[in-house]
Amino acid sequence: MSDDARLGGEPMIDCRGAMERLFDLLDGELTPEREMKVRAHISGCPGCFTYADFEERFLKALRTARVKGDCPRALRERVMQTLRADGWQG
Amino acid sequence: MMTDTPRAPDAHADFSALALAAMDDVYRFARSLTRDEADAEDVVQEAYLRAFRSWHTFQPGTDVRRWLFTIARNVFLRSKEKARREVTLDEDGAEAVDAAAAVESWVMRGLNPILDRADLGPAIQAALDELPATYRDAVVLVDLEDQAYEDAAAVLGIPIGTVRSRLFRGRKLLQEKLATFAEDAGFAATAGKGESGGKDDE
Repeated sequence: MSDDARLGGEPMIDCRGAMERLFDLLDGELTPEREMKVRAHISGCPGCFTYADFEERFLKALRTARVKGDCPRALRERVMQTLRADGWQG
Repeated sequence: MMTDTPRAPDAHADFSALALAAMDDVYRFARSLTRDEADAEDVVQEAYLRAFRSWHTFQPGTDVRRWLFTIARNVFLRSKEKARREVTLDEDGAEAVDAAAAVESWVMRGLNPILDRADLGPAIQAALDELPATYRDAVVLVDLEDQAYEDAAAVLGIPIGTVRSRLFRGRKLLQEKLATFAEDAGFAATAGKGESGGKDDE
């Protein structure tokens, strides 16, 4: 209800509305209609554009910090042994 | 195809093809949860045993990683007896917006020169390790494990709105920590003198 009241019922959204949904936008969590409204505001507002660009670059950098390394082979073996002892027939 | 019990032959094959294939992801998530390799291994081992025993409850066609993450997190919480201390914060979007409006310019000034650096990973990882678990779990699930808000909410056992709030706060805390790092490393000071910082990035 609140989402529609805030965004759906207005032809345009202001800076506050756009920034409230910025992370939703960058995370791909908005409906196409809402995404279009937020993007329209950002592209026409230099202040919001600068902030959105900053947040987008931050999230991109954050995603590079994903822990490297696969599950160690010894652990994988231990898990298999535990499962076999429990009846797994893999 | 529905599996009725882990004892059925198909169930074993399904478990191997789906659950065991996701062990790298579960291990990585466990490491993010525990921040300790040995603890992470314990979590993975126990989580897989529980997953096998309750494989008949897995809904075919749903995200097996979400299902396994939920089990792994429950194992972790139980092992640390943290479940009772888990707090559902009274958070809403308006609070997040007010916080957004209050974003300190020094955070952007400090972070802008370093965000595109290829060697920022260790600093981000260190900042992540310092985050309170409440926020770190949300950030890890959404930003590092590519889980949708809905999936993260299911794993964490909280409403989607709370995931949004925790993500917001977690990301802002990370930015502050990284801006401090940039300042300490001298990057922010350079940017503050009016230079773009671009030439110093290389």
